[in-house]
Amino acid sequence: MSVITLDKLCYRYPGASLDTLADIDLSVAQGEAHALLGASGAGKTTLLNLLSGLLSPTSGRVLFDGKDVSTRTGYARNVSQVFQFPVLYETLSVADNLLFPLRNASMSKANRQARIDYIAAEFALEGLLDKKPPQLSLFEKQLTAVAKALVRPDVSLVLLDEPLTAVEPQVKWRLRQVLKKTQADLGVTMIYVTHDQTEALTFANKVSVLTEHGILQTGTPTEIYQSPQHEFVGHFVGSPGMNFLPSETLNMSKGDTIGFRAEWLKLKDTGVHFTAVVSAKRDQGTQKGRPYVLLTLETPHGQVFFRGCADVAQGAKVGLYVTQFVLFKEQRQVDAGYI
Amino acid sequence: MHKPYSNKAWLGVLPVVLVVAFSAVIPLMTVVNYSVQDILDFNSRFYVGFEWYVETLNDTRFIDAFKRQLGFSFTVLAIEIPLGIAVAKGLPKTSRFTPALLILLAVPLLIPWNVVGTIWQMYARSDIGLLGVAINAMGISYHYSSEPLHAWLTLIAMDVWHWTSLVALLAFAGLTSIPQPYYQAAALDGANRWQIFRYVELPRLRGVLIIAVLLRLMDSFMIYTEPFVLTGGGPGDSTTFLSQHLATMAVGQFDLGPAAAFSVIYFLFILLFCWLFYTSVMRRDNE
Repeated sequence: MSVITLDKLCYRYPGASLDTLADIDLSVAQGEAHALLGASGAGKTTLLNLLSGLLSPTSGRVLFDGKDVSTRTGYARNVSQVFQFPVLYETLSVADNLLFPLRNASMSKANRQARIDYIAAEFALEGLLDKKPPQLSLFEKQLTAVAKALVRPDVSLVLLDEPLTAVEPQVKWRLRQVLKKTQADLGVTMIYVTHDQTEALTFANKVSVLTEHGILQTGTPTEIYQSPQHEFVGHFVGSPGMNFLPSETLNMSKGDTIGFRAEWLKLKDTGVHFTAVVSAKRDQGTQKGRPYVLLTLETPHGQVFFRGCADVAQGAKVGLYVTQFVLFKEQRQVDAGYI
Repeated sequence: MHKPYSNKAWLGVLPVVLVVAFSAVIPLMTVVNYSVQDILDFNSRFYVGFEWYVETLNDTRFIDAFKRQLGFSFTVLAIEIPLGIAVAKGLPKTSRFTPALLILLAVPLLIPWNVVGTIWQMYARSDIGLLGVAINAMGISYHYSSEPLHAWLTLIAMDVWHWTSLVALLAFAGLTSIPQPYYQAAALDGANRWQIFRYVELPRLRGVLIIAVLLRLMDSFMIYTEPFVLTGGGPGDSTTFLSQHLATMAVGQFDLGPAAAFSVIYFLFILLFCWLFYTSVMRRDNE
């Protein structure tokens, strides 16, 4: 369990003319669940391989507890990893799979057994210890793979590479719950790589948004959602993404673009910021007896989304009021606040 | 749901039935028919029941040839399987030389059996063969045409040369299909090279190795051309294997009845070995 620091990390693949990762700075606190959120092509896998020791940085440093481990192997760094699909030793029982990372550690036999019992209890694997991977469901296999990644008591960092990809949709949330619980119980530092914002925002204490231009923002899930530092973060996180309009719409001169979430809009008759026509309407249930809807609105400045309670029909003309905003200048946040 | 029932559908199977009948069942039944008869010439034949079977199983020449056959088959298997895996492990997985190496490996597999026999017959000759002369020049007496042990070693060397590539190619295909994360995970677990082989690679090679063992077992059990060309079964009958013994009986001495009984026993043994191997492997799978 360590503090992980990336210091001006760069990586360029041999023969490539551009850096895949350039000047990445990141700090992950001890015991933190950190999500690296990025679209495909953003360099997530490269960053993961740099953390796991599969690749060594072209320049910059990887620090574990302040110690430079840039050129060390993943084993020497005490890193463990969970992959997109369950990676287990197929001919070994679950118990032997859990024992495998411990067999080279200097531990007494009794301590090893105690550790395995503890981890098995933590993951509720007691009933499966004698089974072999081919007899397990996908969920149980991935659960075992996660348990195996956490079995070493001296593990400094656990990397999770989209671990829910292969699991059946019905049990995804269950595995996520187990992950969250064990992460908190064991206090391990985890870095969770995903392109799925729901996974990132629900799992992590801190989220970093990675693009081909580097890490755009690191913050708590709330910060990422409420106060994106970069237009891309606002656009990428949230469903639907943040609405953007020219800042003149609200007569704001400090920036060039104004961003607001679909639920930061209010429908009003008087004193409105702008008017729009409802071009599409999707019912999302009811709230306090009123229909809760997602509206697609056409404004003179572009399309925006509204989410909230409203009783309007498609084609209707509505007045809109922005209650909260983030102001961007050249894509960077310059101001945020309420109106 | 009501299923339509029509006997005419059987007509659809007829072509296959005919092909299989003419290609496999009828020839096999001819042999079975011969094996229960004493055939003096084509007009005088007598039904003798299982007499030829009893005689064959008690025939010391058959028993000796059978023992030699077992010795040969298991020796070449014991060499070719580990060696083939070792060669496959040694091949670079992604290199611009990989295709060339694979083609080079496949070359022995493309050479006809009797050509292989001829190559080795000349290569190993102690008077003019490169190998034979070289060994003798090193001060080691080597004459495969007169020394049974040398004949055996030459035969085994020839078979290993001819067939290790098959095992290597199969194992290589198996190795390249192992996803990279398995190696990554093992490295992070601190597994050494032996542990990676034992727990990551070998379990995933299992399928192709079963095929390799079955192919080599059946094939080496039926080996005929190469020893026939290389040693002719000699010196004496020290390298006479089952098929050659059979050929001598059927073609050389025209003992059709005993040869047919022999053939049926031979066939059943191959079937038995493969079945034993396969079921033991599959039983372990189900455990």
